Amino acid sequence: MTKPLTREDLLKAYRTMRTIREFEERLHTDFATGEIPGFVHLYAGEEASATGVCMNLTAEDHIASTHRGHGHCIAKGVDPVGMMAEIWGRKTGTCKGKGGSMHIADLSVGMLGANGIVGGGGPLVCGTALAAKLRGQPHVSVCFFGDGASNQGTIFEAMNLASVWNLPVIFLAENNGYAEATSSKFSVACDNIADRASAFGMPGITVDGFDFFAVYEAAGAAIERARKGGGPSLVEVKLSRYYGHFEGDQQTYRAPGEVQNIRDTKDCLLQFARRVTTGGQLTQVELDSIDAEVKALIDGSVVKAKSDPKPSEADLLTDVYVSY
Amino acid sequence: MWSLACQVLNEAQLPIQSGSIVKHTSSTAALGIIANPASGRDIRRLTSRALVFPTVEKVNMIERLLGAFAATGVGRVLMMPDLVGIAAGLLRAIDGRRGQGDAAWPEVEFLEMPLTDSALDTERAVERMRAAGVAAIVVLGGDGTHRIVAGACGDTPLATLSSGTNNAFPDLREATLTGLAAGLLASGAVTPEEALVSNKRLRLRVGAREELALVEVCVTRLEHVGARAVWDPASIAEVYAAFAEPDAIGLSSIVAGVSPVGRRQPQGAWVRCAGEGCGEVGGVWAPIAPGLVVPVPIAASGVLSPDEPVSLHTLRGSVALDGEREIELDGRQAASVTLELDGPRSLDVPATLAAAIRRGALRYPAGAGGQR
Repeated sequence: MTKPLTREDLLKAYRTMRTIREFEERLHTDFATGEIPGFVHLYAGEEASATGVCMNLTAEDHIASTHRGHGHCIAKGVDPVGMMAEIWGRKTGTCKGKGGSMHIADLSVGMLGANGIVGGGGPLVCGTALAAKLRGQPHVSVCFFGDGASNQGTIFEAMNLASVWNLPVIFLAENNGYAEATSSKFSVACDNIADRASAFGMPGITVDGFDFFAVYEAAGAAIERARKGGGPSLVEVKLSRYYGHFEGDQQTYRAPGEVQNIRDTKDCLLQFARRVTTGGQLTQVELDSIDAEVKALIDGSVVKAKSDPKPSEADLLTDVYVSY
Repeated sequence: MWSLACQVLNEAQLPIQSGSIVKHTSSTAALGIIANPASGRDIRRLTSRALVFPTVEKVNMIERLLGAFAATGVGRVLMMPDLVGIAAGLLRAIDGRRGQGDAAWPEVEFLEMPLTDSALDTERAVERMRAAGVAAIVVLGGDGTHRIVAGACGDTPLATLSSGTNNAFPDLREATLTGLAAGLLASGAVTPEEALVSNKRLRLRVGAREELALVEVCVTRLEHVGARAVWDPASIAEVYAAFAEPDAIGLSSIVAGVSPVGRRQPQGAWVRCAGEGCGEVGGVWAPIAPGLVVPVPIAASGVLSPDEPVSLHTLRGSVALDGEREIELDGRQAASVTLELDGPRSLDVPATLAAAIRRGALRYPAGAGGQR
């Protein structure tokens, strides 16, 4: 049974989703100025997935993320101020400004890293899950991946390995309908990614990725199952991203009004706020207060990032190679 | 062309003992098909040992239906479109048959309608099928899917096929036989009186909102709809059942364990489950999900009489309709459940096939060689 949500849990869930949204909306604005190096792939619209999953995890559990990793990082507990500095390429960033958006990692909170390699997270979580199993620890590992990665051999191999070794892994497919600009309807043969689970001898389910409560319960069941030695599972979360594959993508492959319609009718934050205020668990005043606090946090993180120093030439070769 | 349905009976001559077969074409006979793309993939695959029901198998079932429809002379099938591959798979199958020169299937017409990837699609499709005058709607789905269809189908009968989990309402049956029975009904080889049965339903009222259920209404102590399914016995507060058969899987099994009620009995039953702090009370072991037989403590039970509303005891939590949480109760609104006897009509496949055989509707004359 997934742990019932307390009032504090609900406040935390809203704060996490709002932080992700504010972080991404701010990046959407700032990236257009040309000051931010590299690429960013924004997670706005998908907040209920990362939050619903990570609310079931501890710092000892691991996640592997994707190129669209900001939301996973924040939900797993990575400091957004350090993340903003990292994306701005500053020495104070989570990875000292050397990783940027697609390589944010923080092992202290179990975040194995965003990953520029599509489908690269599967083998990584098999490693951390195997370690936990061999050590007799009750820790689980979650591999976030997208519908594009669902067609990658690395994911198939990882699912096979996780099943053969009965590893505590949750394969979390965030199906936002588009692999870059290609609709999954043209590229994913099975229509429902969850259907692929049975080929690897594990259960597969689909869940509404706009609904925090649905993701929380579904992921909670999968995580609890893995923690108890039940083995891996595949959870397909159906959702949508609000921005392009990368910032600058004009999204000509999406129907006119498609995103706005989703924002108006399904948005995870709007749904959450409506349900907890209607149900009397939280008040609108409390939610407004969180909105203000989060905005101040993100505003401050940008101000700080802009003024922080960049890595120097002397930093060029540090933290790059590891000696075993 | 000689189809099984060419051997239909003239209703005016019924009952027919032998040799009174009236031959006519029934190529205008139409049926509808609703296949829920989402069934068979919910959280119960994690919380119990429920099966995964892949899209490809749903397409296979529809192909088997079409084969039976063709044999019974059904000329036209209205099909709900979808966004996740059932319609696409069926189109591929139809194209493939054209290439192989296989026997013709009925004309399959996909309804032109906007898609929302939600239960609204099912409601819209059912309304269009009903307006088109189909003889019956074949439904592939679970109790939840059938509940949605039943809310929109009016007098149009349902042919039920289980493609979900924990199903008490739809038949767990080979699709070919359901297709055969539906085709025999559509083509007039059997009468509605022979083929159809009436079902009960439950009407839930929460404030001004009304919802229907075909099997049971379960009030849970869970505040949120969440992942919809109910699998923790401690979360179950009350169950109201239109019918609760001893061999049912799902939440109605809790009621069945206390006081079984048949599908055709003009009454229902309810139980109230004991919560924490109620002391030691007896209960029932109930198979509430595949592989999940759990003890459920029972505090009280009773009978549901037709058209007599029973107030819900628990007003804060959520309500599951036919196994899926749909409504969140905020504690401020009165709520009740009423048993109604005039629910949807559904196809009794064994009775239909028996009637057809009894009338010789599945036989062909010497010299026809069984060719269609």
